[in-house]
Amino acid sequence: MTSQTRPETTSASPMDKNAIIDLAIRFGFLALLVGMVLFFSFASRGFASPQSAVFILQSVAITGILALGVTATLVVGGFDLSIGSVATTAMMAASYVMVVMEQSALVAVIVCLVIGAVVGVINGWLIVYMRVPDLLATLGMMFLLIGLQRIPTEGRSIATGMSLPDGTTAQGTFSEAFLALGRHRFDLIIPNFIPVSVVVLIVLAVLIWFFLEYTRFGRMMYAVGSNAQAARLAGAPVRAYKIWAYVISGVFASIGGILLAARLGRGDIASGNNLLLDSVAAALIGFAVLGAAKPNAFGTAMGALFVGILLQGLTMMNAPYYTQDFIKGFVLVIALVFTFALSQRGKQ
Amino acid sequence: MTISRRTFGRIAAGLMAASGLVSVPALAQDMPAPFDNPEEVTIALVRYLSTGDFFQAYLSGVESQAEALGVDLRVLDSRQDAALQADMVDQAIALGVDGIIIQHGLTESMREAAQRAVDAGIKVVAFDVDVENEAIPQIEQSDRDLARLALEQAIADNGEEWTAAYVYVPGIAPLDRRDETWQEFKERYPGINEVAQFGTLDNPIANSNANQARSVLAANPDVTVVFAPYDEFAKGVKIAVDEAGMSSQIKIYSADVSTSDIAAMREPDSAWVATAATNPAVVGEVSVRALAMQLAGEDVGASVIVPPTLITQDMLLENEITNMEELSVRLPQFAHADVATPEWMPLPAR
Repeated sequence: MTSQTRPETTSASPMDKNAIIDLAIRFGFLALLVGMVLFFSFASRGFASPQSAVFILQSVAITGILALGVTATLVVGGFDLSIGSVATTAMMAASYVMVVMEQSALVAVIVCLVIGAVVGVINGWLIVYMRVPDLLATLGMMFLLIGLQRIPTEGRSIATGMSLPDGTTAQGTFSEAFLALGRHRFDLIIPNFIPVSVVVLIVLAVLIWFFLEYTRFGRMMYAVGSNAQAARLAGAPVRAYKIWAYVISGVFASIGGILLAARLGRGDIASGNNLLLDSVAAALIGFAVLGAAKPNAFGTAMGALFVGILLQGLTMMNAPYYTQDFIKGFVLVIALVFTFALSQRGKQ
Repeated sequence: MTISRRTFGRIAAGLMAASGLVSVPALAQDMPAPFDNPEEVTIALVRYLSTGDFFQAYLSGVESQAEALGVDLRVLDSRQDAALQADMVDQAIALGVDGIIIQHGLTESMREAAQRAVDAGIKVVAFDVDVENEAIPQIEQSDRDLARLALEQAIADNGEEWTAAYVYVPGIAPLDRRDETWQEFKERYPGINEVAQFGTLDNPIANSNANQARSVLAANPDVTVVFAPYDEFAKGVKIAVDEAGMSSQIKIYSADVSTSDIAAMREPDSAWVATAATNPAVVGEVSVRALAMQLAGEDVGASVIVPPTLITQDMLLENEITNMEELSVRLPQFAHADVATPEWMPLPAR
C-alpha cells in the first residue's frame, strides 16, 4: 500500500516536479506543525517553555488516547462512534464504584477497563455477526451508554458527599491513589513535571504504533481493512480481527475515561460528544501525516498534538472559542484534501 | 416583586421566621379555591432542559411543592427539542390541566404555544424563558444579582485594582446577563484590568476549560482574580490553577453551587474562594407557588425573582458544610426563599 505513494510508481510526469509534490505531501503537515510552534513562540508570551509543552500534551492526552483507539477500528475499515460515551461512562462508573460502592481505586480501574472491553465486544458482535453497519451499531451504542450512565444516579453527577436517590448521603470518596492518576506528576529534569496522563498517552501511542506496524496481528488488521474478502480467502479470521479492533477502541476509551475522572475528581454527566469529535478529527488528520493516506498511530498522535498546539496557542492569544472550532474544522478539511488528493494520485 | 435585594444576606432573623413557617402544616380547608380540593387540580411542567444536576434539583423542588399543595403534577420533557416543547404545551391543554409551568425554551417557539394556553383559560408561569406575554409571570433566578454578589466579594477581598481573567461564552442567556454585570463592574472600577477572556461549552465542560485556563495562565502569569460565573467554568479554572501551582496567587469567584463544588472550595488552599448561588430546588418551589397563587386568583406581578446567596470558602469551613443538604440546613437563606408565600401556602416539609 505504501509503495503506491512512492515517486517511482508515479513517474509518468517529470521526476523532479513529482518529487517536490511528494515531499510536500509527506512532510507538509509536519512542517506546518513546526511552523505553528515557531509562530506561537513569537506571537504569544509564555508559549515557548517546557511547562507549556507539557500542558499542551496534557490537554490532548485524553482525546489522543481515544483517537488511538478509534485508529484501530479505522484500520479494519470500521468506525467507532461510541468512544466518547464509553469514556464518560467509564468516568461515571469509576466515580460510582468509589463514591457510592466505596471500593478502592484498583477496583474502579478494573471495572472501567471491563466496561470498555465489554462494550467493544458488543460493538464487534453487532457489526460482525448481526451485520449492523459499523456507524449505526456504534451510534446505537453511543445513545445506549449516554442513557445507561445516568440510570444508577437518576441523572445526577457523582461527587464525594452527594445525596443518593434514596435520600442517604454517599460515604465513599475518590481514593488518593485514583486522584493521583490525574494529579501526580513525575520528575523529569524539572521536579513535578510530567503528568500521569501524558505518560499514559505516550506509552499507549508507542504500544499501538508498534502493534499495528510491526506485529503480525497488526498487519493482518490492515489487510482486513484494505480488503476483507481477500483476507478471508487467505485464511485470516476476519471476524475475530474486527471484534478485537473494537475491543481495543473500547478499552482505550475507558482508559481515557479513567484519566478524565481522575483529573476532574468527580463523575460528570456528559455525553462525550466533543471527545468523540476531537479524537476522530485527530485520527483523520493523522491520515495526512507522512503522506500515509491510511489510519496510522503515529499520524494520529501527531494529529492530536497538532490540534492541541493550535487550540492552546490560540487560547493564549485570546482568540474566542468559535474561531477555535472554525480553525479545527479548517485544519481537518485541509488534512482530508491532503489525504484524498494523495490517494487519487496513487490510483492514477 | 421587590424582594429582599438589599436586605438579603443579612436576614438571619427573617429566615428564622421563614423556617418557622415551614413547620406549620396548612390544611386543605384553609386554602382558597381551587386548592380546597387540591386533588382536582392538575399542573403540568413543560421542560426544555432536563439533564444535569441543576435541572434535576429544579424538578425535585417542583415535585415537593406540588406534593405540599397536594396537586397532581404532570412532567412533560421535550429534551431540548423546541418544536416538541411547543407541542407538549398543546398536549397539556388537551389534557385539561389547570396550570402550566414552562421551564426554559426558546422565545420564538414558545410564544404562540403559551398564548394558546392562556387563551384556553390556563394559568401559565415561565421560568427562564421570555414568552413575551403579559399574562405570564416570569420566574427568574437573578443572574445579575448572582454576578453582583460574587464581584462585590471580589472587591471586598482584593480591593479595587486587580488583574483579571474572565470566563464567558456569549449567546447563553444567563451567562449574557451575568456578563452585563461584569461589564458594569469594569466600568465602575477602572482598576480592574481584564487581560484575558476565554471559555468553552465543549463537554466535559470542566475539562475543556481547564485546558484553556492552563494556556491563559501561562500567557498571563500576573492574573490574580478569575471571574468564572458558572460553576463548571470555575471547576475547570481551579483544576488549571492547581496544575500550574498558582493556588496561593489566584482567587476564583463564580456562580452556582453543587456538592462537588463545595468539595472543591473546601480543599486546602483552594483558589476557589466564593460563589453566589440560587438553590435550584427553591426556584422549582417558587415556580409552583407562583402558579398556585395565579390559580387562586392572586397577582404575583410580572416577574418573580428568587434571590441568590453568597457562599464563601470561610462560611463552608466555619459551618463544616460538605454537601448541598448541609448547605441548606446551615445556611437557611439557601434552603428557602421567602418569595410567593401568602398565608395559606403550604410549604414543603424539610
